[in-house]
Amino acid sequence: MLKFFAVIFFGLLPCLASADVSVRDDSGSVVRLARPAQRIITLAPHLVETVFAAGAGSQLVGTVEYSSFPEEVKKVPRVGGYSRLDLEAVVALKPDLVIAWQSGNSPAHVEKLRQLGLPIYISQPNRIEDIASEIERIGVLAGTTKIASSAAKSFLTRLTGLQTRYGGRPTVRTFYQVWHQPLKTIGRTQIISNVIRMCGGENVFGNLDVMAPEVTVEAVLAANPEVIIASGMGEARPEWLDEWKLRTGLIAAQRQNLFFIPPDLIQRHTPRLLDGAEQLCRHLETARTKRPSGAAR
Amino acid sequence: MQTRSRALLILATLTIMAIGSLTLALMLGNIHVSPKELVSVLFGNGNDLAREVVLKLRLPRALAGLGCGGLLAVSGALLQVLLRNPLADPYVLGISGGASVGALLVMLFGVAGGIGVSSAAFLGAFCTMFIVFGLAHGDGSWTQARLLLTGVIVAAGCGAAVALMLSIAPDHKLHGMLFWLMGDLSQSGNPTLILGALVLVVLIALPFARELNLLARGSDIAQSLGVAIKRLRFAIYVLASLATASAVTQAGSIGFVGLIVPHLVRLAIGNDQRVLLPASALAGGSLLVVADTLARTVIAPQQLPVGVLTALIGVPVFLFLLARDSQTGK
Repeated sequence: MLKFFAVIFFGLLPCLASADVSVRDDSGSVVRLARPAQRIITLAPHLVETVFAAGAGSQLVGTVEYSSFPEEVKKVPRVGGYSRLDLEAVVALKPDLVIAWQSGNSPAHVEKLRQLGLPIYISQPNRIEDIASEIERIGVLAGTTKIASSAAKSFLTRLTGLQTRYGGRPTVRTFYQVWHQPLKTIGRTQIISNVIRMCGGENVFGNLDVMAPEVTVEAVLAANPEVIIASGMGEARPEWLDEWKLRTGLIAAQRQNLFFIPPDLIQRHTPRLLDGAEQLCRHLETARTKRPSGAAR
Repeated sequence: MQTRSRALLILATLTIMAIGSLTLALMLGNIHVSPKELVSVLFGNGNDLAREVVLKLRLPRALAGLGCGGLLAVSGALLQVLLRNPLADPYVLGISGGASVGALLVMLFGVAGGIGVSSAAFLGAFCTMFIVFGLAHGDGSWTQARLLLTGVIVAAGCGAAVALMLSIAPDHKLHGMLFWLMGDLSQSGNPTLILGALVLVVLIALPFARELNLLARGSDIAQSLGVAIKRLRFAIYVLASLATASAVTQAGSIGFVGLIVPHLVRLAIGNDQRVLLPASALAGGSLLVVADTLARTVIAPQQLPVGVLTALIGVPVFLFLLARDSQTGK
């Protein structure tokens, strides 16, 4: 008899250990899974990196085009592009967790997947700190809390390190150029604005509430930034960044403070954002050293 | 004699308007330039920043706006007579569609020969012009309905091709492609070419103005009064197409100017092509310059698409003139 209870008890133990998990996603709704997810699909390239950082890379069964980091992800099946999902492909992979990107995926697509009964986690990290909590929450959903929380902790430690080191440095007026035609920059709410501030910089268009405002060359000349940073779309420094050299009235051009940061490091909301942030902080520091002695900027 | 002095008065007023719009464009922007500073910059003095902004950024852009606006308006005026359809605009016969296909093809795939986006756009416009003309000409009977229908269908085909290219384009190319399609004067280069094209088009069109007046009353009437209809139509078609192609090549498909300006001018001064064509050129140019100035200043430092502003200015003015016209019982 005792043996019988023991069997039941120990038989149930794994179920208890992997009993239902739940977290609150970035849209505010609770995501509840009966057991940790074993088949995860991410609907944006940057979410893949977060999943891997949370230690759940081996549970990833599908993702979208342009997911390129880490190397292993290149073998994972694709379900279309983030803005043009192949819903059938998503369903065919039988995921038990779909991680969607609020500002990138079409809300109609996400709603459709929800109606099909798939559990959906909506991600929208708007501040750098959010990345750490995202790693942790995905760790909970994937049952990899241990790896995830240590990854989150080291992320926060490194973030605090950058903050204390550069946050109080003299302000550098910075223009971040997303693209040249149209000339696009970033507004206050964009995460890169956050990074600039953390490095002791000030986004010259930080008073705009739009995420990616289109501005005129004239507005840049009027703002006269001390540093111009651009990422472009590829691994190489964009040619148009150096076109600013012709505008000799700009402080950034005079002091040759035209810097390139690879887009994957700064435009993706992933743990690697800190690599990009570190580069940005160092560039601003370089700009500080180029100041004529005694001048404020 | 009285009509002549009236015509001169109208053209003089419009010229002053055009100069006024240019002055406005040179003065307004993120960096404030007072009239006094503007004069000193134009005479080669002034501080560095003001000089750079006014001479290198604002002036080329404003002149390009003047040229493009003028070309689109003249082209619209010509096509409205040619097709005898009030809804005709420079884009109705597929010219801008062809230009878009050409430009986007180069942006999407690139060409080893190093064809620039502008030349590809011009080539595309040119091809469409020949295709539409060839098909519409067909067995030699060249009716307006047939030309219009052919143009509209070819334009629709181009539209589909554009949609297809946009949907297969990778994200990093999409930016530039959409931007080109929206039409924007900040990408325009040397404006002398476009201004030259405008002057040329008006000068070529003016000698035909009397014949155009007859054509506007109907092809039968024109023919019975001795107008060589076929030749005239062909000349007008080519001229309007080339005008559109140059404007689109320079600044993308800026909407609305070509449709509304000829009507506006017609409502204000009547339908005499001898005055209408140069007046449309000046009015179209001024409208686009003012619209573009507003586009970059209204919510500065952010920029709006210029097509939005041309419509926002043009629609109320047009409706006002239309209402006034119907009240006087014309």
